Amino acid sequence: MVCKTVAKRATRYSLRALAFAVIGYMTESVATAQPLRLRADALAETSAPTGLVVLEGKDQVRPWFDVEGLVWAGARTDAAGDVLALALRLHDPHGRGELRAGRFVLATGAVRPLQIDGARALGRTSFGTTAEFFGGAPVVPRFGSLPYEWIVGGRVAQTIVSRATMGLSYVQRRSHMELADEEVGADLAAIAVPWLDLASTAAYDLTSPGITMGLASIAARYKNWRFELFTSHRSPGRMLPATSLFSVLGDFPSENFGTTVRWQAAPRLDLLGGAAAQIVGGEPGANAWLRALLRLDDRGTSSLGLEIRREDVVGAQWTGARGIASRTFAHVWRFSTEIEIVLPDTPNGRGIAWPWGLMALAWRPGKGWEAASAVEASASPERRYQLTALLRLSKTMVLP
Amino acid sequence: MRARLTLILTLTLVLAACAGVLGIRRDASHPFEHRAHVIKGVSCNECHAGVASAADEGPVHFPETADCLRCHQKPHDTRRCDGCHGESQVRGGAELARETLRFRHDKHMPAVHGDCVRCHVEVAQSRPEALRPTMATCFGCHEHRDQWQVRACNGCHVDIAAEATPPASHVVHDGDWLREHGVRAAGARDLCSSCHSERSCAACHGVGTTPGLPARLAFDDVNLAGQHRAGFRSRHAVEARAQPGLCTTCHSESSCIQCHQASNVASGTASRSPHPLGWISPMRGGGDHGRAARIDPSSCAGCHGGAGEQLCIDCHRVGGPGGNPHGPGFRSTKDKSRDVPCRACHGLAP
Repeated sequence: MVCKTVAKRATRYSLRALAFAVIGYMTESVATAQPLRLRADALAETSAPTGLVVLEGKDQVRPWFDVEGLVWAGARTDAAGDVLALALRLHDPHGRGELRAGRFVLATGAVRPLQIDGARALGRTSFGTTAEFFGGAPVVPRFGSLPYEWIVGGRVAQTIVSRATMGLSYVQRRSHMELADEEVGADLAAIAVPWLDLASTAAYDLTSPGITMGLASIAARYKNWRFELFTSHRSPGRMLPATSLFSVLGDFPSENFGTTVRWQAAPRLDLLGGAAAQIVGGEPGANAWLRALLRLDDRGTSSLGLEIRREDVVGAQWTGARGIASRTFAHVWRFSTEIEIVLPDTPNGRGIAWPWGLMALAWRPGKGWEAASAVEASASPERRYQLTALLRLSKTMVLP
Repeated sequence: MRARLTLILTLTLVLAACAGVLGIRRDASHPFEHRAHVIKGVSCNECHAGVASAADEGPVHFPETADCLRCHQKPHDTRRCDGCHGESQVRGGAELARETLRFRHDKHMPAVHGDCVRCHVEVAQSRPEALRPTMATCFGCHEHRDQWQVRACNGCHVDIAAEATPPASHVVHDGDWLREHGVRAAGARDLCSSCHSERSCAACHGVGTTPGLPARLAFDDVNLAGQHRAGFRSRHAVEARAQPGLCTTCHSESSCIQCHQASNVASGTASRSPHPLGWISPMRGGGDHGRAARIDPSSCAGCHGGAGEQLCIDCHRVGGPGGNPHGPGFRSTKDKSRDVPCRACHGLAP
């Protein structure tokens, strides 16, 4: 009996000590108190219907707990008011792990980004191993049908001497308890030397065996130049849930092999160009583009830009040009304009040119207030002409 | 002769103007003459008084005009010295660092034996971009390997998300970043979340986000890159055809139907069909729809998914007039008589 009492007391003291230790650990590296950040945007458009209010809040309640929300109110024809993100995050202040729950965008390794209602747990070790597990239900707009009901999966990654990270992931989706999709993936990111880095990822479909998606990019920097080689492989049929009838049509991948070059020709002038060879459904194609940006001041608050693009794939042949200009006046006013024209090779009675233009005036008087208005005009394949007025009012607040 | 002189003068003016616009020649203010002061034997502490013992808080230790006047007793001007001597972005960088970083000069000075240039390496250059040491300079001594592994940035950064300073020496958002960001974020999503909030991802990758896309909500910021920039609504069909599968990276196959129904370009509404003539033609091997469906099946699933699949099954069921829809490369581990969607056709076989 005595022994039991002593044991109970010892256990109680141990638990109390443990609780104090945990609290002490949690509050050990307390940073300065983080303020509550709030932002509200109200957007009105004359194109029917109209009106959207975006409310955003972020607060670090404790060093180990923060919460973030992004809510839309109002409605349009193409979107209803909804909670876009509402995530609670419990995390170790020392970075050993975290638990995220709520509505958020899940994206990790070769798992394609997906907005879910669910949870994600992540743990890290000091020798560079990361393990994460997630599960949840996909978010669908309004009363849309669920492509599947559940997604579960995980990823294990290892960092090697701070130079490279390799990860393996697994994900499965289920609909009515039936397997809708099952994929394994691998990802690699490495900085071989400070001027050379590479990143790649690939996902393999186990339901309809084959590569769903593969992306790779290798970039090198030399003085004011940056060169990149990239490739991508997407199998659209495998990207659909395997419960969709359209997933059975076979493997007609879309592939890209290309390069981009950036040259800072002058301190305020950036030139960027790219070209890629494409294979779409077995047919060859290509695209190329050139972009120039001239900043009119050191901070880039005023600028001029021009972009030219050519796309040449069977069924999608067009040439486009886009110009931008923005100028800041008296630190609080900014006038900006943007013009684009697209010339399709085969108009098919949908107009020989699709012009689009916007003129905007923004006012930032300070204290977190912003107001902007614009007029947008366009002629598109659907409409001979369209004129839209836009107005946005924003307020950012930081509460202690 | 006069014409040539005019031409030369004009060209000179144009070049001078271009030099100013391109940033080759800077305007009124110029870098502070650190080098000249060092050559004269003026130590850093003489002007930046107190910096050697400065802790984490307090003012930045820029000299005031009165400090300059201790030596320069006959100034050439009555205005403040720092109006011209020293550049605003350098001062701004230092003030931003004081506000957003945890840093103690008093802890670092003994380690570098009072040699400020050990960290402020650009002081020696005639036209330094910034005098604040870069993160790469910090990493020269502090590897921070453990903190980097566990994404514990708050040892130095007060609030990295609110700081909103684009990284200059690591994870540089360079080149065609919009296309690249996916593959580069794949291995380091949690690194991205060190700076970016959920909003950054959800604004594009969320469901039904069209009006709140960064490029739409911030319509006045024309420099903002975005997949759906400018007249994307006009281009979206040709863009989708050029990159099959790209849309599915963010959008579910049902994303199209909302807009198309609202625009009366969808099935099931009193609307016009988006399909051209010859889309389904028994005379031409079925018409164009088969090839289009194989190249981008998600665009078909957008309208004809779910109950709409019956439209396909009516022709393509086993023994139906539409023939076998399975193209080359089709393999499946599913049980065709039992699993969805196989059983829809194979279950109906006579």
